[in-house]
Amino acid sequence: MSSINTRSHKAQKVIERMGKKLNRQIVGSLVACVHCGMCTNACHYVLANPDDPTYAPAYKADQIRKFFKKHYDWTGRVLPWWVKAKSLYTDEDLEELKDTVFGKCTNCRRCSINCPMGVDYATFNRMARGLLVSVGVMPEGVAVVSKDQWEIGNQMGVLKEDYVDTLEWLAEELQEEWGDPNATIPIDRTNADVVYSINPREVKYDPRTISDAALIFYAAGENWTMPSECWDMTNFGLFSGDDDLGGAVARRLYEKVEELSGKTLVISECGHGYRSTRCEGPNWGKLDVKFPMESSVITMLRYIREGRIKVDKSKNTTPVTFHDSCNNARSCGLFEEPRELLNLVCSDFREMYPNRTENYCCTGGGGAMSMSEYTPRRLKSAKIKADQLKATGAEIVVTSCHNCVDGLTDLIRHYKLGMQVTQLVNLVANALVIEKKVMVPVEEITADLAGYRILVADDEPDFVTFVATILEDNGAAVMRAYDGDEAIKMARHEKPDLMTLDITMPGKSGIEVFEMLKKDDDLKSIPVCVITGKPELRKLIYDRPTTPDGYMDKPITEENLLINIRKILKVHHHQETVESKKQI
Amino acid sequence: MSPLLHFSEHTLQEAALAFMALAYITRLTWLFHFKAGSDRQAPTGAADTTPRRGILYSWFNIAMPWAMESTRTKMFMYIQFIIFHLGVTAAIGLSFIIPYAPRLLDSRVAAVILMAIIGAALLVGLMRIIRRISDKYMRAISSPDDYFSLLLLTVWFAFAFLSVPNSTAWGEWHLLTYFFLTAFFLVYVPFSKISHYLYYPFTRYYLGKTLGHRGVYPMKHARQSGE
Repeated sequence: MSSINTRSHKAQKVIERMGKKLNRQIVGSLVACVHCGMCTNACHYVLANPDDPTYAPAYKADQIRKFFKKHYDWTGRVLPWWVKAKSLYTDEDLEELKDTVFGKCTNCRRCSINCPMGVDYATFNRMARGLLVSVGVMPEGVAVVSKDQWEIGNQMGVLKEDYVDTLEWLAEELQEEWGDPNATIPIDRTNADVVYSINPREVKYDPRTISDAALIFYAAGENWTMPSECWDMTNFGLFSGDDDLGGAVARRLYEKVEELSGKTLVISECGHGYRSTRCEGPNWGKLDVKFPMESSVITMLRYIREGRIKVDKSKNTTPVTFHDSCNNARSCGLFEEPRELLNLVCSDFREMYPNRTENYCCTGGGGAMSMSEYTPRRLKSAKIKADQLKATGAEIVVTSCHNCVDGLTDLIRHYKLGMQVTQLVNLVANALVIEKKVMVPVEEITADLAGYRILVADDEPDFVTFVATILEDNGAAVMRAYDGDEAIKMARHEKPDLMTLDITMPGKSGIEVFEMLKKDDDLKSIPVCVITGKPELRKLIYDRPTTPDGYMDKPITEENLLINIRKILKVHHHQETVESKKQI
Repeated sequence: MSPLLHFSEHTLQEAALAFMALAYITRLTWLFHFKAGSDRQAPTGAADTTPRRGILYSWFNIAMPWAMESTRTKMFMYIQFIIFHLGVTAAIGLSFIIPYAPRLLDSRVAAVILMAIIGAALLVGLMRIIRRISDKYMRAISSPDDYFSLLLLTVWFAFAFLSVPNSTAWGEWHLLTYFFLTAFFLVYVPFSKISHYLYYPFTRYYLGKTLGHRGVYPMKHARQSGE
């Protein structure tokens, strides 16, 4: 291997470590490209940026190929300029490479299946990500999420007590709703037939997916459980290219299933989680997993086929379309089962074109949602997906991937499509036919916020009205603030039981308001739910020592708002009770 | 036949072929010294998608223009690809026919077919040169080797076209150029992108094996529109 004295330490390490990452498949892909250009139009970045050839898959691949050729291929060593071989020398070179491999590709693999030569660019792009990560060159979001997954065990840093609290709260709601103590969420039950693993996003932002899954398991009479620890089936190792992280995360989950003597691991709807846990985990961890693993989509479909649950498709009449997650469709072959399930639980399913293995990325894949520096680029490239969605005429887009939920939600808002995003678990739960349902009087549900005083702070009057109306309809007394200064003033004066807070507001921003609240002894106990239309700013507020009690991305639904508000109030009440007991 | 032409048709070609074989063996040895990655996971996807079927589908994918969006939506490019590669096959075949079975060219039909194929490939070569120069995407991804390889093949097609009649009525210059170019081509190939056909079976084998194991290959039902 050649080297020069001027090469930076990091660049040297990247080149050295590449040798250890190369396998025959990757080398084949690196040497086989003929620069025919057939892959160009397969990429959503290219289609959205027709004047910029640096988005072409072959061009991006060449940024990796050039230093491979320079150091590992004789053609590049003998005649580097002839084959465009070039080494990496400086940290700036690494930054440029970072911009390409993280910021211009979501590893969706669409170009790979469109390459006549079978060049699997997505695979060696992931390798390049891993090389950069190994020397600490990566987008900040990737570093933060990887750290959380290494240290806390899940990629959103959800603490065990919060996770267990949420499951218990959801179980209580389920029991209340169905009037059956067996309608619960069993935690750490041994010898269960199903061990259910989830995405931390479900705990933090979308607990309804957990309660809906619990309802389905309950209706199916399943002997199931959720682990109290090592429950995260997502794996940032897939996005960061860090095989060590990928192996460690997968191993934790596999070992937990074995510890519980679980028979089958069911993975909730998440494209990268499914691929990582079901397919890549055993490879990264060099493990032979002894128990079967399946997507919850397959589990739900199986329940219907076996007659364990009954569904009524007339309960879901709104037109829906289905977005194939890249990881599910192009890397795991999971594309027929969701359609079969949708046709069983929805009365108006409309196909999106192209679809299945040829579907376009939601543009939030490959960890793109955690890389806020590339958000404008991501949203621009999302035009392709937006056009696809619009052409369906559907009002709801269904996807079996949490990453896609976030990516699609963001692009739907950006392109003002007015669609909702949901998952199959929600539609199946809604379509369930359970005869022994215990009807709870309507008054009890609608007035459960009675007595609570909630401050809504947002600079969009329509949004304030929307939120206030929902909360008032449910019994809460609502105060309204339209900028940061007014929010602080009202918080001091009114001392609300909860505050919803927008991040970008005139005057003091939501972040400043949040900091002031948390520094003020009189106000710091007020629970805060951040509701923002700029998810890329999430980091700014979550990087602080004290984090908000809840977080929601706009657009929000009535149902999600109420679930989150009830949860925060309940948890807050629980914490206050514990603290007062301690004081006593 | 001059001694130089005889040399170029026989000794030179044999030496170039031997060199190419040696270079290929070295190249494949190099490729195989990299360990093959393995798939430990249980298969996913439909039961009728297996690694074996995935490999077969992957290998013959190029003969199914409907299978990939990139070829399905650029049928003109695909036809060019077919013609170009038929031209390469014909021109290579010609380099064996002239020295070892020249009587085959006595058949006017055979000669016309060869000339038609090679002539069409020559036209495609010219079109590809224009595309590579004029298209900004192609320029961005092209190396000197890409330009040179394409130019080399196009010029080679031109002389192969002229050599099909195997006639020295106007001198030997076209035959000499064709055989010297063929020899150069054989020696140059292992160092250039033209060697892609050496890797093709392997890249597609591994991609097919992985995607077959995971239920993606053979691809079914992926459609561009509702029609």
